[in-house]
Amino acid sequence: MMYAGEAWRVLMANTVRSLLTVTGLIIGVGAVIAIQVLGHSMAGAVAGALGGMSDNTFVIFPNPTQHNVQAASIHLRDLSHVASDVPGIAAAFPLAFTTELVHVGHRSGRYGIYADSPISINSTPLLYGRNFTDSDVTSASHAAVISNAAYIRLFPGGGDPTGQSIYAGDQRYVIVGVLQAPTSGLLPPLFVHDVSIPWTTYISQYVHGTTIFAARFMVADPSRIPALELAVENELRALHGNAPGQEYQSFDKAQITQGINGVFNAMTMVVALIGAVSLVVAGIGIMNIMLVSVAERTREIGVRKAIGARGAQILAQFFIEALILCGTGCAIGLAIGLGIGQFIDRVYILKLTGYVAPIPWLSSLAVAAGFAIVVTLAFGTYPAYRASRLDPIEALHYE
Amino acid sequence: MSNGAPVIDLREIVKTYVNGPIELEVLHGVTLRVERGEYVAIMGPSGSGKSTLMNVIGCLDRATRGQYRLDGVDVSGLDDNALAEIRLHKLGFVFQGFNLLGRADALSNVALPLFYAGVGGRERRTRAMAVLAQVGLEDRAHHKPSQLSGGQQQRVAIARALVNDPAVLLADEPTGNLDSATSEELLQLFANLHAGGHTILMVTHDEQVAGHARRIVRLRDGNVLSDTPAAARA
Repeated sequence: MMYAGEAWRVLMANTVRSLLTVTGLIIGVGAVIAIQVLGHSMAGAVAGALGGMSDNTFVIFPNPTQHNVQAASIHLRDLSHVASDVPGIAAAFPLAFTTELVHVGHRSGRYGIYADSPISINSTPLLYGRNFTDSDVTSASHAAVISNAAYIRLFPGGGDPTGQSIYAGDQRYVIVGVLQAPTSGLLPPLFVHDVSIPWTTYISQYVHGTTIFAARFMVADPSRIPALELAVENELRALHGNAPGQEYQSFDKAQITQGINGVFNAMTMVVALIGAVSLVVAGIGIMNIMLVSVAERTREIGVRKAIGARGAQILAQFFIEALILCGTGCAIGLAIGLGIGQFIDRVYILKLTGYVAPIPWLSSLAVAAGFAIVVTLAFGTYPAYRASRLDPIEALHYE
Repeated sequence: MSNGAPVIDLREIVKTYVNGPIELEVLHGVTLRVERGEYVAIMGPSGSGKSTLMNVIGCLDRATRGQYRLDGVDVSGLDDNALAEIRLHKLGFVFQGFNLLGRADALSNVALPLFYAGVGGRERRTRAMAVLAQVGLEDRAHHKPSQLSGGQQQRVAIARALVNDPAVLLADEPTGNLDSATSEELLQLFANLHAGGHTILMVTHDEQVAGHARRIVRLRDGNVLSDTPAAARA
């Protein structure tokens, strides 16, 4: 392409000027892409964390700031009523854990013992063995599913530990499953169950008294969770004789996801704003230098027109020059943005979350190319048009 | 296209410049015909209208009144794009100041009109090289203008003017920036081109240079003063 080669020669003849011209574009594109890279890593880490949380569960607890907390308290006996009376609830059990010294042979550590059901709150895949079965629950068996961290600590020799016994306090449990390591370090501790046991077993061993802090509910269809949350809250009020007050709060994956998405949307808006401002600032600089370039080369334009160039061909020449200028700036900005993003990813984000997203090539390229095209169209068109409209006679006599 | 019609046929060309309330008539009805293969010099003092006439003939400017047929085409009423097309295919310009593109080598300069004509890259190079050879500069094809002497630069400019095989070669003081020895060489080149059948129209104020042409048209105050065959040269 002759326009492109010619444009490249012109720009390289003024290397310093060309570079200064696109500095704004480099900074703008670099900043947007760096933030994008980091946003990807953060979003990925959060998604990984949430991915470890089951879709099929929700938690309900009495609003701790209400007037009559006593009336709203959930009783152990409420749970079986809810499970049998509210259609769609597969299981209801306390959200509870206790800490015990757990040991296997000489190895030991303090771990949380959690009540869980066949569908775990933690959907991290299994490394060995199986999850609980319904019969584990109905028979209140002494089966345990342990986390990867606990497995590594308690079984330094590795190998499949299923069938082996672990001791928690004075109780013996048989390991039936081991989870894989979570993909993200952002998983809330409440969802990292180091030692899970069937909830029925948990109640018989660790629950004393009749009121519980919060309840977990398992459902077969996650899409019904919002409706089921209301249904369960109403059922609880009814079970408590519809005493006045009784406010409950619910907690599920969709809610958390929504909250986090809100944060990311706000971040996206900020990035878009930075992008828009730098786009305009960079564009004005480019327009300025293109107008200078047209003025400097008035005579050249006159010659080109005299030998038969049409206006459209002159327009194409200067337009492509602006496009190459912007494209080069955006390419440099792309490289710098990815570099900075990767650097911060590796140095900070990895420590923070244990997760770094792969480089978002497609969206980064889209941002860089989009910037180049938009700035060229918005700010390169007018100088090129002006060049194309020059009167050949005046242009030829321009000194 | 090459019927017996004149290559340049100007009839009663009037050119008036309007600048606000002031109207300045520069050409007062110039009639001029140039036949195919002629070598014509246009002379005249500054202010005689020869630059304006050259601009009209070169399709860089439109006459206010009158009719202009170039190579059988009435160009009087054409728009900018059509005039660009005419300049591209029917006219070749040679300027006093050479006006080569400094960044491009000789070959690229010569090939430029072919690019605007939409000729492909390989054919452009072949044809540009052939024309460079015609002006004796095939061994300088990859030199930049800054690496060429004034005479060589003007030869490159002539090659550029010839590359689209124009009906007329328009030269505006082509030797104005050259010393006398180089001027002689260049005029010899024009003579050779004329002998080869090219139609040449040259504007000059130098009698010596005009003497190389076969016909001299003198302008004064926007009118043709005289139109005579030049004295035959040895």
